Amino acid sequence: MALLEIKNLHVGVEDEDIKILNGVDLTLDTGDLHAIMGPNGSGKSTLAAVLAGREEYEVLDGEILYDGEDLLELEPEERAEAGVFLAFQYPVELPGVSMTNFLKEAVNSVREARGQDELGSADFLQYMRERADMMGLNADLTKRSVNEGFSGGEKKRNEIFQLAMLEPKLAILDETDSGLDIDALKNVADGVNKLRSEDRGFLIITHYQRILDYIVPDHVHVMLDGKIVRTGDKDLALELEEHGYDWVREEAAAAA
Amino acid sequence: MSTTALDTSVRPEDRFISAFEVNHGEALNGTNASISKQRTDAIERFAELGIPTNNLEAWKYTDISSVIDRPYTLPLAPERPSLDTDDIAPFLIDDLDAHRVVLINGRVDEVLSDIGDLPDGVVVSSLAQAGSTHPDVVEEHYGKYADFEDEALTALNTAFVQDGAFVYVPSGTVVEKPIFFLHLTATEQDLLLQPRHLFVAEDGAIARIVEAQHSLSDAQTFTNTVSESFVGEKANLEHYLIQDQGPSASQVHTRAAQQKDDSVYTTISATFTGEVVRNNVTIEADGSFCESNFYGLVVGKDDMHVDNHTFMGHVQPDCSSNELYKHVLNDESTGVFNGKVFVSRGSQRIDAYQQNDTLVLTKDAEIYTKPELEIYADDVVCSHGATTGQIDEESLFYLRSRGLSKRRARILMLQAFAQEVIDEIQLDSLEEHVAERVRTRFSSYFA
Amino acid sequence: MSTSETEYLKGKASEEYKHGWYTDIESEKAPRGLSEDIVRYISKRKDEPEWLTEWRLKAYRYFKQLIDSGHYPDWAHLDYERPDFENMRYFAAPNGQAQYESLDDVPDEILETFERLGIPLEEQKALTGVAVDAVMDSVSVATTFKEKLREKGVIFKSFGEAAKDHPELVRQHLGSVVPYTDNLYAALNSAVFSDGSFVYVPEGVTCPMELSTYFRINEAGTGQFERTLIVAEPGAYVSYLEGCTAPMRKENQLHAAVVELIAHEDSEIKYSTIQNWYPGDEDGNGGIYNLVTKRGICKGDNSKISWTQLETGSAVTQKYPSVILAGDNSVGEFYSVAFTKGHQQADTGTKMQHIGKNTKSTIISKGISADVADNSYRGLVKVSANADGARNFSQCDSMLLGPDCGAHTYPYIESNNPTAQIEHEATTSKVGDDQMFYCHQRGLGEEEALKLIVNGFCQEVLQELPMEFAVEAKELLDIELEGSVG
Repeated sequence: MALLEIKNLHVGVEDEDIKILNGVDLTLDTGDLHAIMGPNGSGKSTLAAVLAGREEYEVLDGEILYDGEDLLELEPEERAEAGVFLAFQYPVELPGVSMTNFLKEAVNSVREARGQDELGSADFLQYMRERADMMGLNADLTKRSVNEGFSGGEKKRNEIFQLAMLEPKLAILDETDSGLDIDALKNVADGVNKLRSEDRGFLIITHYQRILDYIVPDHVHVMLDGKIVRTGDKDLALELEEHGYDWVREEAAAAA
Repeated sequence: MSTTALDTSVRPEDRFISAFEVNHGEALNGTNASISKQRTDAIERFAELGIPTNNLEAWKYTDISSVIDRPYTLPLAPERPSLDTDDIAPFLIDDLDAHRVVLINGRVDEVLSDIGDLPDGVVVSSLAQAGSTHPDVVEEHYGKYADFEDEALTALNTAFVQDGAFVYVPSGTVVEKPIFFLHLTATEQDLLLQPRHLFVAEDGAIARIVEAQHSLSDAQTFTNTVSESFVGEKANLEHYLIQDQGPSASQVHTRAAQQKDDSVYTTISATFTGEVVRNNVTIEADGSFCESNFYGLVVGKDDMHVDNHTFMGHVQPDCSSNELYKHVLNDESTGVFNGKVFVSRGSQRIDAYQQNDTLVLTKDAEIYTKPELEIYADDVVCSHGATTGQIDEESLFYLRSRGLSKRRARILMLQAFAQEVIDEIQLDSLEEHVAERVRTRFSSYFA
Repeated sequence: MSTSETEYLKGKASEEYKHGWYTDIESEKAPRGLSEDIVRYISKRKDEPEWLTEWRLKAYRYFKQLIDSGHYPDWAHLDYERPDFENMRYFAAPNGQAQYESLDDVPDEILETFERLGIPLEEQKALTGVAVDAVMDSVSVATTFKEKLREKGVIFKSFGEAAKDHPELVRQHLGSVVPYTDNLYAALNSAVFSDGSFVYVPEGVTCPMELSTYFRINEAGTGQFERTLIVAEPGAYVSYLEGCTAPMRKENQLHAAVVELIAHEDSEIKYSTIQNWYPGDEDGNGGIYNLVTKRGICKGDNSKISWTQLETGSAVTQKYPSVILAGDNSVGEFYSVAFTKGHQQADTGTKMQHIGKNTKSTIISKGISADVADNSYRGLVKVSANADGARNFSQCDSMLLGPDCGAHTYPYIESNNPTAQIEHEATTSKVGDDQMFYCHQRGLGEEEALKLIVNGFCQEVLQELPMEFAVEAKELLDIELEGSVG
């Protein structure tokens, strides 16, 4: 059974007459890393938001199966507990919410859902330190409020750090590479590569090919106007880099 | 208890005026001359001003007259309700190692108090006692900072003053341990209490005062407190107030402070319960290079009504002030904030900041906020801000996407909102106490 | 600053009010004082229908009741002597004529008066794209481009004419936004209002020109009480501007206007004011008391009302142009620059009342105070229980030019809706030394630098003015700043 199966997904914005996704089909097996590429406004980030359960979008048609279950039935926190993780394109600042407090609540609620014991304070701090070390995260960041005053690169690294803390089955990275300089990009990619495993699937959403130099995808999809118009292996990303999206657009138009 | 029941057949003002006439020269005497001599002027001024109504700009959003217009009894002679340490135990603050004074119905209870050893010259006692032991200090400071010219309730308090708390920290003295005043109301009658406190920190003195108000009964009470603080040159006074008298208690609580050169005064209130609670905070920075900080937290529930009314008077140059009030309003609770920053002509180089933030959680909760600046000097940086809104949806989604339930995510966001004020509490044990009370309250919102 | 520079600026300061002259023309005036007879006299002189006379009388009786019971509105941060209502004239018609049939009947002195103010009344000389209603004392002298506007169905005429030509429209809307019981000065205006403008834009019409009314007080001892009413039918758009000046006089004169705006579904009214009444002399003698009630209602869904004001004149200004946001998704805006110097006092701001759902309001207020002047922002943002999704943003900044002036901010926020989002920010500061130094370093003198910085401070507001008037506004502000340095 596939980890994630998206079938003929149509999505619009609630209360408005706007359609963003127009029949997306995608199957992702556990252990695989898929990249979705596409120009701005093609619907990539909307797909990520719908997977994580953002309420302002309305699913008009189609279904999403996660581990064979209907994902759309679940609240955002139930998805997290079931092992879906979204690394946000714009991580939210939470002034007054300490990283430690936040992650302890998050980790324990996910553990509880998996039938694991809650971590006590000492064990949790130990675990957090280990993961911070592993991800090369400056321990000082864990002493601050969530994302408050973090630089762009720190915010993105913090998302990957949380991924490491929560150990999801499906990790969705929404333009995690955007706005990063080359060092920060490498750092984020290193983190992701460390976390790749046989029992985890990745869906990486990106505008640019460059992150795929460091994270080698098993499959690459191109999204245009709310549909996946082309699927291939890692070479597809290189072709896109060379020819741009217009090339795919023309092809898609010719095929239609 | 020797008491005078207020005569509800006449208008409220006249009840007090006649109670004053009946008791003047008897129950009200026996205090210090400098306290007594202001009584007559005060009751006359009270008669002229009358009890404030909503027609007064300063009382536009808080109807105190209907709270005062109830059949209260005035307790006029000391009588000790039979309480022991078990009765007060629930109201002590864990890990707060302090000089403890317990006041029952506005009077110091010697038996329940545990003042312990104080540094040389430091006095922690009842105001009535200080009237005879330290008449010079009382003479110098009593009635000097809480002006009753424009405040009817301060006038009323001044007319009827009997007892309250007294702290005197002489020049250059540091009081290491906080001084804790536990104010309890213990009564079966509907009481109207008027405690009066005086806190004096002379030049270079450092002290921390913690006041907590609680109630042992459900009787309807109205407490009209006036406290005056003097912060001498280079002195540092922290003044905390926990308001938790229960849903049948109302109060007007006036804190008036005067600061001298290079001093720091910080006052923080946290309001948990009360039917109608009105706080008047007045700080006059009557010296250069003063720092004044005032913060407040209101965690509203049911139909409680809390009004924080503040005045920051900058009458000397080169001072700074920080003010932050936060309201979380649930159920049918009402929050009012009216703060004024005043900079007098010639008070140059003032840095004043004022902020009021409110979260309105239900359709029946209400907020009225009016932050004011009145500035008569040009070389100043003064700003104020006010926001009212709800818990940020984007933040809630972020938390939920990490596995926190909607309820936990909301509670965490509320705690984060309140944290900014709680962080200003410099006493760890008190900070934890307030944080815990706040956590419990927020958890109850979404039970 | 050098002595000669100071002298120069002092000289500038005393000559700065350039509209302070008086036109010598015979005027027919009502006797001093106020009574039912005076109210009837005004109504009769204006040839008004019976219902309007009665309405005036009701307003007068309400006014008298307020005065007799000692209800004077003195809550603002203003210190001035109450006008002597018994010693004032409530009607003055220059040349003894209450109205003019055509421009040919208007005497040369009056035409010259407006020409000298930069408002030529002959259409060929006029500013293109702007239609003007010129009001002197109690009388509308002329309204330009009436015919051109008529082609589009837009009615733009003096209030007096409108009351006769379109009685049903006037009767339906007069007092519907500002009832005469609103406040003392609204009652007084309703009783004795003289001329003013009436604008009606029919459904779906975008008014092809800027509409403008120019008010001139000329006669001594009179008050001016104009009344403006603007109705925008569904889908209509209109931009309207008022300007005002008065001669220099030792005694104070009263200006108590009422403006009502009604915006139906999908319509927009943009109302701009350049207020330059005589502010009084440098010792604080004379000047206009500008006590005005302005309010608009966004009646229909998706409607919008925007107030922009540049307040530089008057000895005392008290006005709060407001918006009642009744329609869903309606928008209210208030942009204000208030400049007080000398002995001027201003207490101005707005009221935004959110009633409809998803209503939005924006308040940008810039107060500048110099000399011994006092400048207050006072505003209310009120969100009622059913106004789900209401949004407000307010920014109120004050700038102090000199150590003896005052700047104050009194915002009121009242909300009992959990979905409302309200944000208020205010700052008070002076022109930064570093800003001045930076300008000096780039070769700008004291006054040039100050003008530049103050103009920048006001930019957010000034850019809201119609283009035709933006230049005038900037010049006015520059003139105000001359003599404010030091």
